[in-house]
Amino acid sequence: MTDTIHITIDRADGSLQRLIGLVERRGFHIDGMSLSDEGAMRRVSMQVRGRDAGRCADNLGRQIDKLHGATRVGFAAATYGFQTGAAA
Amino acid sequence: MTAAAAFKETPAAAPQSGARLLVRTLERLGVEVVFGYPGGAIMPVYDALTGSGLKHILVRHEQGAAFAADAWARSTGKVGVCMATSGPGATNLITGIANAMMDSVPMVCITGNVATHLMGTDAFQEIDILGVTLPIVKHSWVVRDPADIPAVIEEAFHVAHSGRPGPVLVDLPKDVQVGMATDDYGFHYPNEAEPLDHAAIAEAEQLIRAAERPLIYVGGGVKIAGATQALRDFAERTGIPAVSTLNALGSIPTDAPGFLGMLGMHGTRAANEAVQDADLLIVFGARFDDRATGKLNAFAPQARVIHFDIDPAEIGKLRAAHVPVVGDLKAGIEALTTRVAKAPLAIDPWIIRSASAARRHAFRYDAPGEGVYAPALLNELSRAAGDRFIAACDVGQHQMWVAQHCAFSRPEAHLTSGGLGAMGYGLPAGLGAKMANPDAHVVTVSGDGSFMMNIQELATLRRYGVALKIVLLDNSSLGLVRQWQELFFEENYSEVDLSDNPDFVAVAQAFGVEAFRISRREEVSAGIQRLLNAPGPCLAHVLIDPKENVWPLVPPGKSNAEMMHDTRFEGDI
Repeated sequence: MTDTIHITIDRADGSLQRLIGLVERRGFHIDGMSLSDEGAMRRVSMQVRGRDAGRCADNLGRQIDKLHGATRVGFAAATYGFQTGAAA
Repeated sequence: MTAAAAFKETPAAAPQSGARLLVRTLERLGVEVVFGYPGGAIMPVYDALTGSGLKHILVRHEQGAAFAADAWARSTGKVGVCMATSGPGATNLITGIANAMMDSVPMVCITGNVATHLMGTDAFQEIDILGVTLPIVKHSWVVRDPADIPAVIEEAFHVAHSGRPGPVLVDLPKDVQVGMATDDYGFHYPNEAEPLDHAAIAEAEQLIRAAERPLIYVGGGVKIAGATQALRDFAERTGIPAVSTLNALGSIPTDAPGFLGMLGMHGTRAANEAVQDADLLIVFGARFDDRATGKLNAFAPQARVIHFDIDPAEIGKLRAAHVPVVGDLKAGIEALTTRVAKAPLAIDPWIIRSASAARRHAFRYDAPGEGVYAPALLNELSRAAGDRFIAACDVGQHQMWVAQHCAFSRPEAHLTSGGLGAMGYGLPAGLGAKMANPDAHVVTVSGDGSFMMNIQELATLRRYGVALKIVLLDNSSLGLVRQWQELFFEENYSEVDLSDNPDFVAVAQAFGVEAFRISRREEVSAGIQRLLNAPGPCLAHVLIDPKENVWPLVPPGKSNAEMMHDTRFEGDI
């Protein structure tokens, strides 16, 4: 299943690389991506797909939230939904 | 005019070089010590250091600088600072940065780089260190205007220390270091407190009251949040038994009633059995690391989970939480204690059962033989050093023995490369910790494999007269790998023999460090006293049985319920 995440990022050195690296490192394929100019910021729309069933887009979203200079927009708010463990 | 005089006579408002702006900003932020190593692309900064109030410690390898800054931070709660030049200087920092990232250690790493017009041209000693370190920093900056240096450095310290701490990197091209600007930056970051989630804490109280077998699972976040006393109050007032991760050891004193020890791969049987039997885990600042959980879907199979953490990304990352409580741990635990301590919990049978298991599975130190038994030595060492003890561990069997057998009365006393497991951490970490805590008994516990990875820092100890004590447990092999090869690779001992080690006593003495050797059990007590009483740096080279193993052990990929153990070394004495 593919989820679409919309993010605004600043123009600092490495910010796009940081975002893409995070998504891939956390176990997601990037199936599509667009980048547009929004003044001082840039908007990234990214279609992502977990490499296995254990990858949760909510968790990825919370990792993206930790990036400095990046803000998630247009993506369902984190709901603390879980994918593994005995209490799911 | 000398450089020192020039530094002091330059008013803060006058145009200054970027390098001097950097140094002044570090001073303003209260930095006392910087660990580093100079080189071509950071020479303006080293020029500006002269005459400043900063104490620079010249290590002998940049990895040592990063590890020393890490330990400085872990043992003080302050931000550690290290610096290096471009290219190989910067890449030599990488293991230390990754180590700090894995264990959430606040650290600011400053690197020089080639001038901006040379960046991207494969210039001499040019490395895209920002790109290389992206996965292992909390954030990073390339400064392209000297006027930005004060603001970036202030932000770097704020990011490193706030929320869940971590390392940050500031890359300074050489032309930015020499460019002139005025220091007119006046902003200071406020302390931001997340509002407490009282509804979640009320839910947590309900789960605790309903539980028959609740268990506290303490992670390294407790120490980071300054929540140690809050945790101890909660544990004491509720009576709920507790287990600890490697990085949280000391958060609850080793000898405290109800403390069952470390959980996980080399955890105690009492701790792992309690986790498997618990019907509620109260998790404070832990991340369900695989070394702690073993086979994840068999971990604490009967337990509901209350998970306190400042990092929302840790909630549900690996294990579901029935009640997530995101925010400051100290405030959260205090609020929980206030609620839960109003009325006693009906968990006496569980408390008695846990205490009985702890006694039944307690470590024993009466191993047969005449040779040095490392667990007994470490236990005696920590008790002899008392509350002033700080252990800076390397990685391997000795690291696990320290975790199992040393008594810790505070979490800052146990410095270990938990997440990354970086051999070579111990010696430079001991250096950093001893410089930050000159009155403490700081002891690096190393192995013959790990020690060789940063042995050059003996020269740094000698240069600065740092009275670090070193216990070098020498089994002439890479012991933990050898143990796994024995147990899981049909005794095919592949590339673990280190029997051609140098004479470590002679090596230490060649560096100007006092050293002695012990090989028999009867020499241990006197050796510990000699080590602790030595006025300067001192190394005890301890010969141990190469076939000694670390027990208990959860085999990789197995449940914590499937512990391998050696009953000779457990049980009531």
